[in-house]
Amino acid sequence: MFSIHCPYCKEPRDQNEFSPAGEAFIARPENPEALSDEEWADYVFYRTNLKGDHWEQWVHTSGCRKYFLVKRSTINHEVIEVATFEEIDSENAS
Amino acid sequence: MRIEKHSNSLIDYNQPLSFVFNNKAYKGFKGDTLASALIANNVLYYARSFKYGRKRGIIGAGVEEPNALVSLEIGGRYTPNMKATEIMLYDGLSAVSSSNPHSIDFRAMIKPLHRFMPAGFYYKTFIKQKVWSIVEDRLRSLSGFSKAPSEIDEDVYDHIFQHTEVLVIGGGAAGMSAALEVLSSSKKARVILVDERENLGGELTNEFTTDQTATLWYQETKERLLKYRDEAGSRLKILTSATAYAWYDHNYIEVLQTIGTGQSMIQEGVQSARKVLHKIRTKEVILATGAHERPMLFETNDLANIMLSQSVRRYVNEFNVVAGKEIVLYGNNDSIYNTAIDLRKHNVESKVIDVRASGVESDIVLEARNLGIEVFQGFAILKAKGKSRVTGIEISKVEMQAKPPHWKSKWRVTGDTQTLNCDLLATSGGFNPVVHLDCHCGGKTYFDENSQSFLAQKDRKNRQLCGAVNSIGFWKDAIADAKNKAQLTLLSLGEDNEVNPQELTNQSRNYFNVDQFFTPLEILNKPKVFIDLQNDVTTLDVSLSIREGYQSIEHIKRYTAMGFGTDQGKTGNINGIAVAAEFLDAPMSEVGTTTFRPAYTGVDFGAMAGRELGDFFDPQRFTTIHDSHVNSGAEFEVVGQWYRPWYYPKDGEDMHQAVNRECRAVRTSLGMMDASTLGKIDIQGKDARELLSRVYTNAWMKLAPGSCRYGLMCNEKGMIIDDGVSTCINDNHFIMTTTTGGAASVYSTLEMWLQTEWSHLDVHLSSVTDQFSTVAVVGPNARKLMKKLCSDVDFDSKNFKFMQWRPGTVCGVKARIMRISFSGELAYEINIEANFGRFIWDEVAREGKEWNITPYGTESMHVLRAEKGFIIVGQDTDGSMTPMDVNMNWILAKNKPFSYIGRRSFSISALKSEDRLQLVGLLTKDDQVVLPEGAHIINNKGVSVGYVTSSYYSPALGRSIALAQLKGGLSKMSETVLVKIVQEKQGLKEIPCEVSSSVFYDTNGEKVDGNE
Repeated sequence: MFSIHCPYCKEPRDQNEFSPAGEAFIARPENPEALSDEEWADYVFYRTNLKGDHWEQWVHTSGCRKYFLVKRSTINHEVIEVATFEEIDSENAS
Repeated sequence: MRIEKHSNSLIDYNQPLSFVFNNKAYKGFKGDTLASALIANNVLYYARSFKYGRKRGIIGAGVEEPNALVSLEIGGRYTPNMKATEIMLYDGLSAVSSSNPHSIDFRAMIKPLHRFMPAGFYYKTFIKQKVWSIVEDRLRSLSGFSKAPSEIDEDVYDHIFQHTEVLVIGGGAAGMSAALEVLSSSKKARVILVDERENLGGELTNEFTTDQTATLWYQETKERLLKYRDEAGSRLKILTSATAYAWYDHNYIEVLQTIGTGQSMIQEGVQSARKVLHKIRTKEVILATGAHERPMLFETNDLANIMLSQSVRRYVNEFNVVAGKEIVLYGNNDSIYNTAIDLRKHNVESKVIDVRASGVESDIVLEARNLGIEVFQGFAILKAKGKSRVTGIEISKVEMQAKPPHWKSKWRVTGDTQTLNCDLLATSGGFNPVVHLDCHCGGKTYFDENSQSFLAQKDRKNRQLCGAVNSIGFWKDAIADAKNKAQLTLLSLGEDNEVNPQELTNQSRNYFNVDQFFTPLEILNKPKVFIDLQNDVTTLDVSLSIREGYQSIEHIKRYTAMGFGTDQGKTGNINGIAVAAEFLDAPMSEVGTTTFRPAYTGVDFGAMAGRELGDFFDPQRFTTIHDSHVNSGAEFEVVGQWYRPWYYPKDGEDMHQAVNRECRAVRTSLGMMDASTLGKIDIQGKDARELLSRVYTNAWMKLAPGSCRYGLMCNEKGMIIDDGVSTCINDNHFIMTTTTGGAASVYSTLEMWLQTEWSHLDVHLSSVTDQFSTVAVVGPNARKLMKKLCSDVDFDSKNFKFMQWRPGTVCGVKARIMRISFSGELAYEINIEANFGRFIWDEVAREGKEWNITPYGTESMHVLRAEKGFIIVGQDTDGSMTPMDVNMNWILAKNKPFSYIGRRSFSISALKSEDRLQLVGLLTKDDQVVLPEGAHIINNKGVSVGYVTSSYYSPALGRSIALAQLKGGLSKMSETVLVKIVQEKQGLKEIPCEVSSSVFYDTNGEKVDGNE
């Protein structure tokens, strides 16, 4: 069972308080109707499934119910970084 | 037999205990294990072996024991597959062998056939010949394991969450030393010290007989540890009789501790936990798990009274028992000399056969000789003699080869065979560091030529190895090693101490430095050289496996069953790998190990469940009206943890009769139901409408305050995930209802969109499911009752239309009254603050008496909605149904500016296929046959083309109705299809049905305004 540091509760908590919510940074296309079937399928179904450090979304289901970002190694499950969406946004802006 | 007491023994001769084993009464003493007490009573046989039914004795003294499995106690205290070596004796204990060695066993009777029963025998004989089902029961009962418990476990189990900086696993010399070093060097680090035995000390206690300094160190260290444990603000927890059996991600380790070992728990009124599951999250782990001795291999090495050298040593030192009089020790390392010397100190004679070449006159060999112990060097045992117990051995001189291939045995048998008598043989083929736990969660092993075993990788984050698991055998070196590792642990914790690294003595005793694999092929090719005693795997089984092409060690394991069972290869696996290497003619490092997985030892199901049993198994949710339902005699069904009334049987009615009565009442006069469990989400903010518009398929921008609308929710794949009615309170405030079971996931999904994609929307969600109670008043006479209950609302159907809501006061309670219907009848849902639920329910029931108001449950609700063709998400849909598939194209908005969730997927070619499963009605030709839900619709080739999702008897129509998913069903109206069902006594039948609209009743919707 992982131990995940919730960036909102500011504490490490057991994994069973959280739910995974898929790969991060997959933005919903702004105009889905303009996409080909392949492009739409790529958004809906295809994920990178990489071996290595992976940004993913988690939600603190049994806690603050906030969604946030976790960078996790898919090799040994080490959590390398956690961040809120705001933190990432401001990082990208600067 | 019991020998004279020794000062270091754990036995308390002042406390005799009585116990029963295999229905025979015995005596033992406080401090005995069941195994030591039985050895004291000269009991030889503990089990029949797994496959061949051979009688087996004890070989180990602790967790490594593969044979002596017992069932402890009976009835609610019954515990299967315990190791006799790990059960501390208590007065009145009662145990039986898991497989009785004294029963007449057909496997033993067919002894001459054993050579025809190699690995794969059962598969080849029974499964391949397709008679397995006939013999399975009989064979399983002979499997050598305990019967599964048949009664509810009376024992209590607890879970405790623990957090610590340092977890020390293993309480021998190394573990004790490491724990003490951490505590004394750090001012803040907390320590948990875990050991599987009842007392700390591990194998160090074996040194007490010959080494006074060991005793002194132990006593002093233990005293200091206990002081740390007992002081105020203690940083130390000591868990004894506790096994760390699993290591999961992020240093999460589970430890199972037995409470009250050596005490009977079968006392009236004892309710304390029998076992505690510690769930430990630690920053650092210090592994001091020690090593398991491995046996030597020779012919018929499985006879009773062939044991491990260290266990014989422990039995004589700790328990003052020894299992024979003519004792031979045989091995390839100094462990056998230790045992011989300790036996000698207890005035027990033994002979030593050392396979190593003569001329090795190390200190310990000289010490043994000086004590008068007869030592044969350069001899090997070829065969153990005896019927079921060892009575003698055949030995032969061996010749050392100068340069064998580096992975091959160094010696070959030369010279003549001699015979020695003996009634107890103890062997040692070296030691296997206990690396199991380290490998559960990503730890790797490497092959070590010195110890001829697999060691844990040296460097691993947040983990240190010390003592025997680090292949350090001498106790003084183990404690020095542990101190160094404790300092590294503190460094890793960020504590920087100035320390002097401890020097290791590298003393001359030799446990971990053994020859290349120690048994030549000429011995391995004999029959009945057992590797895995618990699973009856011999060297020839491994050879056969390899010849049949199963050459990877993982394949060999599965072909032969080597390393399975409760044993998990503790004594046998490394030998098995070595044997495989011999037959494969490859080095052991290339053969590798099988994968170590949790659990290291057996874990009681009860311990996993803890207190989460019965009422605590799952949360139970009750509406505020629940007690009233109970008083009405309702039967309940669980929906999304809610206890919902299912039906309300009256005067001995069965479900069918009750449901018919309830449905008739709703259709002809008045019914009422508790709809409080529907999920309710309060949505507020100026973008509330926008949110609904994005997640539902239909239009929401123009829904006026005072109105309600049904919505269908899809995921991005275009599949239906939920439905429900949302109510516009005002332009910035909506209440969404969801299905009872879908409330949590819908709420989560909405939050996900709002938090991850649409954070700019001004809208906030609150779950208010528990805050409101909902009483539905349903039937043609509903308006009449509502007028009676509520005077401040105009219920005229022109002014309060279907799909509208009004605020009002019902029986003096502020309410939101929604005119929505899940039955097609005139219906009002009265929403009140939850605490008024029971009051309003009872008032509605009382005031509705003049129309014979009838409470109805979920079953009638299902019938009523099915008559109208209303879907239930999750019953009529299954996560692969689009709105088009359920014939609801009308709910798909065409002109919404935002491409709502799922919309783009509707135009993907696969979702437009005519051949998709589509929701239709089915009418059986024989209108009294009710199809079973789940029954398949078949085509003329007998292939499934769909299945029944809902099926009921409709009292309103006087016939059966069903909803079904049928391939291309919407274009098959009025066609006849066949549904295959199993009918009692008649077997498979094909029922002809007509495909129909899914709306069966009131197809024009004329009932919705009820009676004036």
